[in-house]
Amino acid sequence: MVKLEFEHRQAGHCESGVTRNLLNYHHFSISEPMAFGIGAGLFFSYLPFLKMQHAPTTSFRVWPGQVFDRATKELGVKTAIHTFRNPKDSMDKLNEVLEQGYPVGLQVGTFHLPFFPPEYRMHYNMHNMIVYGHDNGNYFISDTLMENLVEINYEDLMRVRYAKGAFAPQGRMYYPTHVPTGIDIKPAIIKGIRKTANNMVGIPFPLVGAKGIRYLAGRMRKWEKKLGPAKASYYLGQVLRMEEEVGTAGAGFRFIYGAFLEEASTVLNRPWLKELSIEMGENANKWREFSYLGSRNCKKRGKPDQSYDFLADILLEVADREEKIFKKLATIK
Amino acid sequence: MANAANEVTDKSNSDNELIYTYNRELFYHFDKEKGFTQKVEYQNPNNQVIIKQSWDAAEQRLDEVKQKVIIGKSSPVAYYMEKILMEVPMLAAYMEISSWRVKRHLKSRVFKKLKPETLQKYAGIFGITVEELVKPEFMR
Repeated sequence: MVKLEFEHRQAGHCESGVTRNLLNYHHFSISEPMAFGIGAGLFFSYLPFLKMQHAPTTSFRVWPGQVFDRATKELGVKTAIHTFRNPKDSMDKLNEVLEQGYPVGLQVGTFHLPFFPPEYRMHYNMHNMIVYGHDNGNYFISDTLMENLVEINYEDLMRVRYAKGAFAPQGRMYYPTHVPTGIDIKPAIIKGIRKTANNMVGIPFPLVGAKGIRYLAGRMRKWEKKLGPAKASYYLGQVLRMEEEVGTAGAGFRFIYGAFLEEASTVLNRPWLKELSIEMGENANKWREFSYLGSRNCKKRGKPDQSYDFLADILLEVADREEKIFKKLATIK
Repeated sequence: MANAANEVTDKSNSDNELIYTYNRELFYHFDKEKGFTQKVEYQNPNNQVIIKQSWDAAEQRLDEVKQKVIIGKSSPVAYYMEKILMEVPMLAAYMEISSWRVKRHLKSRVFKKLKPETLQKYAGIFGITVEELVKPEFMR
């Protein structure tokens, strides 16, 4: 039996929330937006050739695992990350690490997660949660999506750690082993910003970053004609689900990122970042407006002015704005 | 901008009901005066509509497959795969066989010739008994 003193805090995004909560446990105080920004979590990509739940994949974030990896690396925190071939090994290792007194982050699939909200129980393998103890085959879980602490039994936990399909977790577990004192977060912030800026405006590939948003807008205009109204509305719904559903904290992480820029401007004492954070906040509100209008379309109540062309125009506006913001951010030194 | 934001709240209060109230999540908001704020609340009604859309679509797909199984065009594997929201590559990963083999098992003709071990493995993944797999409820 192990039960560590762990403070459960909800978060907008699972992985940055897990990163923050784990670092907080080791007495390094950092906010969720900070963890997200330093981990360079923000992104955009539209991958029409990769279908998820029968529709093209839209993503507003980087590859799973990157936020924790990058944030801890930039902050100089030592970590241990394991994946396993054998499920039993992964559980033995988990018990061992818990007994040494470290809470552990796990990547899991959500379909068989018994405490998860039923409406979100789809095959989504990029969820993260923390185990902070176990007792007689029962594991104590802090999941940043949930209001309260939860529990899960041995079999279920093994099952979700070995969910299969795209981005299969393969029992991935990670935890900080040594957090140095007196960390200077300033260089980490600057590096995080530069990485995100490069991801958003520096990659010469049409499906990612601000260009990707424009590409999606172009595709969206053709949906109704090409796919018929029902499928077009389903495709649109898929974009909105990725933008607003589980763990983006709204508007595809744009709010979290704005909050990060605001905090960064205080820490670095650079007022121009504050201005950009306001830009980012307004940009996020525009995304939210997009999802509101889009959801009306999905309900088949769209007025003529909420045609796919109209929605695509909003996306173009958002793309221009994000390009402007990230081009400015790219100049940070 | 301000108008659009107001409209959002008005609409959500008047004619949109919450569908899912199992858990409240943390959301961020931005307002020019208040800056960035966090609030624990239910997913807003508009987004809940979008989530429901995906479940409705899944239900519809399941219904279509069911008809195909009834007329003998698809095998029960196709039905149960859809029922647990899987697609061929994922089911193949759970079965530890290649996708093209799973695809063949979706045909009723091939399904009838499957070995008991294979049926057992499918049943295990779907969380049902072999009898249920071979003769689904709606076929009885």
